[in-house]
Amino acid sequence: MHDFPSDAWTQAFAAAVNDNEVYRTHGKAWTFGSVAMVVEADPSLGIDDAQGMILDVHEGSCRGAQYVTGMDAVQEAPFVIVAPYARWKQVIGGELDPIKAMMEGKLAMKKGHLPTMLRFVQSSRALVTSATAVPTKFRD
Amino acid sequence: MEPAIHLAPRAEHNGFASMLATLVRQNIDERPEKKQTLLKMRGRVALVVVDLDMTVTLHFEGGRLTVHDGVVGIPDLTIRADSEWHTQMSLVEIHGRTGLPDPRGEVMKSILTASRSGAIEMFGMWRSFPLALRLTQVLSVSA
Repeated sequence: MHDFPSDAWTQAFAAAVNDNEVYRTHGKAWTFGSVAMVVEADPSLGIDDAQGMILDVHEGSCRGAQYVTGMDAVQEAPFVIVAPYARWKQVIGGELDPIKAMMEGKLAMKKGHLPTMLRFVQSSRALVTSATAVPTKFRD
Repeated sequence: MEPAIHLAPRAEHNGFASMLATLVRQNIDERPEKKQTLLKMRGRVALVVVDLDMTVTLHFEGGRLTVHDGVVGIPDLTIRADSEWHTQMSLVEIHGRTGLPDPRGEVMKSILTASRSGAIEMFGMWRSFPLALRLTQVLSVSA
């Protein structure tokens, strides 16, 4: 089990992305750079600053992953998706579809080219839902 | 004239409204033909996302687009469908030469099938056919 969010969880997430056949297939044409998923600060859970997981995804695989602190640290990623802890918990638990969540405003794309994200809607969904395969220990 | 795209007050809390405003803005920024299309559009389009119980109204006024939360005014065109279909509608293939939706495209065919089965309902489609075609053009992310 890996604490969410943490460096160990981020590395396990990257491995899960690489094990995801759906992502490998639908993400094959993705050459648009890294995707950062950010957990908003929540001092009640011991998260004093935003925590980011930056996945270096390229042509259907994840070439590396970084766990970073603070919104400034994710600004180099071309795509940045931000949500509160509770929403990521629902996504990781498979209870919340990431695309529907964006439509409802539960996940916010703070940076990125939406037409590209939509063109790759299947791979975007597969990328995020790869997290459901990570054995996760939540803070609450 | 430069197009202007705005979120109406309170619409910033509607994720779908924000997405649509961003989508149109980014589409017209990089595709001059979509910008020209937007400049010609007039009318109101209500998009009802049935499974998420959300509605937005796109109010086109010849280059000015205001995205509202809920139904605002009397829509010329109303499209009711689940979120998955609304996403699919932005993936409709556009024919390169004509700039019109390509009826031979896989996504377009699935949308036509869904329309026949009632999974997608369109009201005012024939009366506002030019508006519907232009809507497809400005929302489509098809390369």
